[in-house]
Amino acid sequence: MPQIEVRQLCKTFRVPEREGGFAAALRSLVRRRYNLIHAVDHVNFSIDEGEIVGFLGPNGAGKTTTLKMLAGLLYPTSGHATVLGYTPWRRESAYLNRISMVMGQRSQLSWDLPAMDSFLVHLAVYRVDKMQGQKTLHELIDLLDIGPVLKKQVRTLSLGERMKCEICVSLLHRPPVLFLDEPTLGLDITMQARIREFVAEHNRQHGSTIILTSHYMADVTALCKRIIVIDHGQILFDGQLAELSARLAPFKVIAIDLTRDIDGYAFEKLGHVLYHEGRKVTLRVGKEETAAITSRLLADLPVLDLTIEDPPIEDVIRRVFARDGEPG
Amino acid sequence: MRTVVSALPAYLRQSLQVMFQYRGEIVLWAVWGVVYPTVSMAMWSAAVAGSKNGQSIGGFGPRQFAAYFLLTMVVGHISTAWDVYEMGRLVRTGALSPRLLRPILPVWQSVADNVSYKALTLTILIPIWLVIAWLTQPMFSTDRTHLLFGIIATLLGAIVNYLWCYNLAMIAFWATRTDAIGEFWFGASLFFGGRLAPLTIMPIPIQKIATALPFKWVIWFPCEVLAGHTSLNSMKGGLINQVAWIALGIVVFHLLWRRGVKRYSAVGA
Repeated sequence: MPQIEVRQLCKTFRVPEREGGFAAALRSLVRRRYNLIHAVDHVNFSIDEGEIVGFLGPNGAGKTTTLKMLAGLLYPTSGHATVLGYTPWRRESAYLNRISMVMGQRSQLSWDLPAMDSFLVHLAVYRVDKMQGQKTLHELIDLLDIGPVLKKQVRTLSLGERMKCEICVSLLHRPPVLFLDEPTLGLDITMQARIREFVAEHNRQHGSTIILTSHYMADVTALCKRIIVIDHGQILFDGQLAELSARLAPFKVIAIDLTRDIDGYAFEKLGHVLYHEGRKVTLRVGKEETAAITSRLLADLPVLDLTIEDPPIEDVIRRVFARDGEPG
Repeated sequence: MRTVVSALPAYLRQSLQVMFQYRGEIVLWAVWGVVYPTVSMAMWSAAVAGSKNGQSIGGFGPRQFAAYFLLTMVVGHISTAWDVYEMGRLVRTGALSPRLLRPILPVWQSVADNVSYKALTLTILIPIWLVIAWLTQPMFSTDRTHLLFGIIATLLGAIVNYLWCYNLAMIAFWATRTDAIGEFWFGASLFFGGRLAPLTIMPIPIQKIATALPFKWVIWFPCEVLAGHTSLNSMKGGLINQVAWIALGIVVFHLLWRRGVKRYSAVGA
């Protein structure tokens, strides 16, 4: 049975709008103009226990709004959702006790105090058994390697240190469902990798269900087998990461190593030249023509090595969003 | 309720710890709480001196005014609430979101902030209060019964003001900014609560309007009881009024909270 079930979920915001400038500001005193933004538009999906699902989409696609509705922060305009059998926006204590949300741009920690003080408040608010709480706390401190920063005021921590403390505080009550909204935003590559390793390890150890939104493809490719691509509030793709290229990218990438330099060969007539430097050439070609073009390249050129690959996932996603929401 | 019992002491400790970080600011806020009543006291003492008989105004001589405004100093301090200013910021910036994720109503964290602030600042206010009392020689006619009922009335008054300020603060879910509403509320409490002048020396229509509003039961009534000016029946009637305002406040709180959270658009992340 799915742990998260979403059916026809919609959220429409009524947003005030006006032209720039003083005159427009003056007019807006008398007459306000509003625009309806369909942030989430009839979204359907379900997620099983223990899955890590990546939510991908450009800014304003509806990822965070969906997550906020599932966390009980936002009330939907229409539609249904259940998480662990609860309707999130009823905000029952029993439900809020079993979930957690890490928000890259919002802090659950008290900025004026050392992080340890916020951890202790969290344990009290969630009524975690004292022994269990201390055990979990020490485990998380070790795993996240935050022992040395616990005595510093949160506002003096680096972004990476703070984010690790945010993750620590949100896991203290061992929630079976975790919403991670841009948990690696603004972090350097090393810190991003550490956070990813921790999330993967946590999922392995505790079998928690995790929904992750991120702008960084590396987060998604490292952690999620399944991804949901969303744009303009609608789901464009929901499936295994490996299927994404096959479904949404009607092209392949052919990389060739030549035995000697070739001048004047019209690679651009075969496909889009992604790279051409000396004896190395990379072409993007239509999926249907791949076999024919490969044969022709092998016949025409002194090929040392030739590989055919799916395009990088970043390219696929970029092309999907560049089509302005038209499913590929 | 078990969550509240477990969380409230932790929130109180956290609030006190935050305030320990900002000692200077806390001292300034405590001193600010003395300024209003002291200015009113000085004004009315000067008015008595310049009055026709030079003795009293509406039965209040300089020492009665001193007693009254010294009481408003403490009662006003204990009943103060600032959520109407705070909530607008929380809603506007989306900072309410982390609080909404917890399995406890955010109001309890605000209650803890409020109580710990008062507990801490009273330790600064009381010595200042004693110095002003020594200088002004106030006249009290308080007995044990008045003191006991006065303490209960002060606490109930603080709850009335807190609840209704929080209810006003929830307008932020619709209006986003509530600072002006807060100022309006504060102004009304100065006038109808008896912080500018004892209500009994105000015109009769003002006194009648004040009886129908909550402010009188927040400041004027507890001060009158503590000063020993109220009969047992008036005390009982006042306490009933306070309890009624609290009950109505709780009902309004639940109605507004349920509707307000539905309106919340969780700005930002």
